[in-house]
Amino acid sequence: MVDSISPKVKVAIENLSFYYGDNAALKNISLPLYANKVTAFIGPSGCGKSTLLRALNRIFELYPDQRAEGKLLLDGVDILGRDQDVNILRLKIGMVFQKPTPFPMTIFDNVAFGLQLHERLPRSELEGRVEMALKRAALWEEVRDKLHVGGNSLSGGQQQRLCIARSVATKPEIILLDEPCSALDPISTAKIEELISELSDDYTIVIVTHNMQQASRVSHYTAFMFLGELIEFGATEQVFTAPANKKTEDYITGRFG
Amino acid sequence: MSPIYAKRRRRNSMFLGLSVVATLFGLGWLAVILGTLLYEGFTGIDLAIFTASTPPPGLDGGLLNAIVGSLIMTSLAVLAGTPIGILVGTYLAEYGRYTRLAFVVRLVNDILLSAPSIVLGLFIYELVVVNMGHFSGWAGAAALTVIVIPVVVRTTENMLILIPNTLREAAAALGAPRAHVIRKVTWRAARTGMITGVLLAVARISGETAPLLFTSLNNQFWSADLNAPMASLPVAIFQMALSPYADWQRLAWAGALLITMAVLFLSVVARLLGSSSQSERD
Amino acid sequence: MADIVSSAHSTPTFATARTRRAHRADHIFHGLTRICAVFVLLMFASIVLSLVIGAWPAFEAFGFAFLWTEVWNPVRDLFGAAAPIYGTLVTSAIAMIIAVPVGIGIAIFLTELCPRVLRRTIGIVVELLAGIPSIIYGIWGLFVLAPILQQTVQPALVGIFEGIPFFESLFAGPPYGIGMFTAGLILAIMTLPFITAITRDVFETVPSVLKEAAYGMGATTWEVVWNVVLPYARGGVVGGIMLALGRALGETMAVTFVIGNAHRISVSLFAPGTTISAAIANEFTEAIGELYVAALIELGLILFFVTFLVLAAAQYMLYRLEARTGERA
Repeated sequence: MVDSISPKVKVAIENLSFYYGDNAALKNISLPLYANKVTAFIGPSGCGKSTLLRALNRIFELYPDQRAEGKLLLDGVDILGRDQDVNILRLKIGMVFQKPTPFPMTIFDNVAFGLQLHERLPRSELEGRVEMALKRAALWEEVRDKLHVGGNSLSGGQQQRLCIARSVATKPEIILLDEPCSALDPISTAKIEELISELSDDYTIVIVTHNMQQASRVSHYTAFMFLGELIEFGATEQVFTAPANKKTEDYITGRFG
Repeated sequence: MSPIYAKRRRRNSMFLGLSVVATLFGLGWLAVILGTLLYEGFTGIDLAIFTASTPPPGLDGGLLNAIVGSLIMTSLAVLAGTPIGILVGTYLAEYGRYTRLAFVVRLVNDILLSAPSIVLGLFIYELVVVNMGHFSGWAGAAALTVIVIPVVVRTTENMLILIPNTLREAAAALGAPRAHVIRKVTWRAARTGMITGVLLAVARISGETAPLLFTSLNNQFWSADLNAPMASLPVAIFQMALSPYADWQRLAWAGALLITMAVLFLSVVARLLGSSSQSERD
Repeated sequence: MADIVSSAHSTPTFATARTRRAHRADHIFHGLTRICAVFVLLMFASIVLSLVIGAWPAFEAFGFAFLWTEVWNPVRDLFGAAAPIYGTLVTSAIAMIIAVPVGIGIAIFLTELCPRVLRRTIGIVVELLAGIPSIIYGIWGLFVLAPILQQTVQPALVGIFEGIPFFESLFAGPPYGIGMFTAGLILAIMTLPFITAITRDVFETVPSVLKEAAYGMGATTWEVVWNVVLPYARGGVVGGIMLALGRALGETMAVTFVIGNAHRISVSLFAPGTTISAAIANEFTEAIGELYVAALIELGLILFFVTFLVLAAAQYMLYRLEARTGERA
């Protein structure tokens, strides 16, 4: 799965450290996220994989005692810089959470929410974008006749696909997925994994997962983390079949975690 | 059965028996009160209640001016107090949740919530009546507003805190600024709860007498002029019940029944709304 | 779409005019909520200030002696708060003595004994009753309870306690029907649902594992309540009681009708008296003269101060419970 020529780096994480109060949750992490590829963060509970993901769209800034130090270069521009507008940043980076979180509105309004934040679109164009997003999230056929029903009325797997549609509606460049399938049944999980593979053609995807089989199925690159440090990073095939680090091997073979 | 165990069982029966007695006693009195209210109130209600104003003693009349006065002042109080209450509740739950200012405001608010309403009436007397030079419907509405605000603050904050953070994060992750997240997502999710809070505030002020006694005073005649003393159901009841005239006392009971039905109706609606939003969330 | 605005002198930013406007709106909204929060504080401060200013003439004239002077003579402009304060304390004491055990008893019934089918209904009924306006209790007390007390209960009590030293004077005198005893009784009935509701809420915060552990050792229901539930919920129950006390102290309409309005301290509970709120309610609109009005406002200030202390103490206890269980009662 690895390209013979070196792939383009979409986001370069350089010396990133993260603190909850005085507690260091991430220690000096550096790794590349390649464009139009799926990168998985794996590791045992508490290793910092979700923390790292949430640093990427600065969602941690909602909480006063969390802070990040270091550089996150998106296409060469440091997203952590003081003068970066975080709302525009989040236009480029979409996020899907562990628990499906449909807004208390209709399916249509859910998908249109992000669009209406940043653009003034005429109704017909808006409808077109919503349809496109729902198609990309493989949800269109199931909801096309009930766009004006509340988002809460969908099943768990459908709700999660709705959240994915919501994120892709704004045409981001990167999509972050925080254990997107852990609250779903196996069939929905399979559907979403399929979706992820399709989406990676057009978007850079980062997925946090505690399910190693999922990581090996879905990702091109894998980063293994432990206690806030990056232990190993490389092509998924290589990390899973011939890990360079003993700890990685122990985790993958189930000796701990 | 060992003697110790027998003694324990006797004690158990005794104390639990006492709690049943307490329940019958407590609820019994309340049943008597409601029964009396229904009986006396219903016999006093006729169409004239809703069409005629309060009469001088000995003549026939109704409670129209008092009902309308109460409606006017209550509506004003809700209109003025609800936005302020919601904004403060939003500050306490969203922007300032863990700040020191929020802590102090919460404390003060809780005290205002249970403060004697007659003292709040004195406050508005000093602030509004003295400065205006006379009693007025405005002053009455102001006194009721002071009661509405803490109720709405408390319920708004409680409802907003219940909204899970993931909802806020999901909206923020799409690039919505904080105010947008609050207005379009968080408020919307807490909407039913917040409406319940407003209903409870209305129920509360519907029966308040003391703060109106020397702010809006009372008005024997029909008047919808906010600049003049304004009649209200509670104060009209107060005046008429304390009088020695039988027909005034009859009107007082009727008015009491009206208020109680309004308050119970609002409380029941608030409960139904509250439980429907609960089942939606589960 | 987002434009990357870059210039030769600064690092490229992701800002556009639209989001700058959105940020400004965000700041305005944030500021608005903060202003309103401060407004609540200002309101409180204004209340205190206006009371102090309004009461000042009386404070100047009577000083601290106001607190223990019984005389209340509007004609000669001599006022003292002793009778209203006494009445407030006595009626509230009577109310608490009756309402607390009964209220807690009902709460125990609801949480432990009541068949589950009825539990919700009775619980809702109690909460609805807690919302009935106090004026209803007031007129009921005047028209129904007072005559009953006058004709049957009071003469009976006078007869029972005749001859017993202390109690004789407590239940002495002509049975007026109205008076401090009646007012206390009405207040008790009114406070009951409130105490029940709060106590029941507090009882429900007790983790069922705790109770199950006790039951599992063979404890009787009462033993579980007495040894596990009450100690665990102690802070919350006391807080709830103090909250109820704070409300009882400030209650106006329930007592005004039946207190008798006499500025007099009497030993007998059957005697008419007055409370601070009843005095203000009955006399304020007819008070002529700056000193009369100021005296009444000073009464209000005293009441506010006392209830403030009681409520602050109650809040403290309830916050302690909240810190423990994470739940607000």
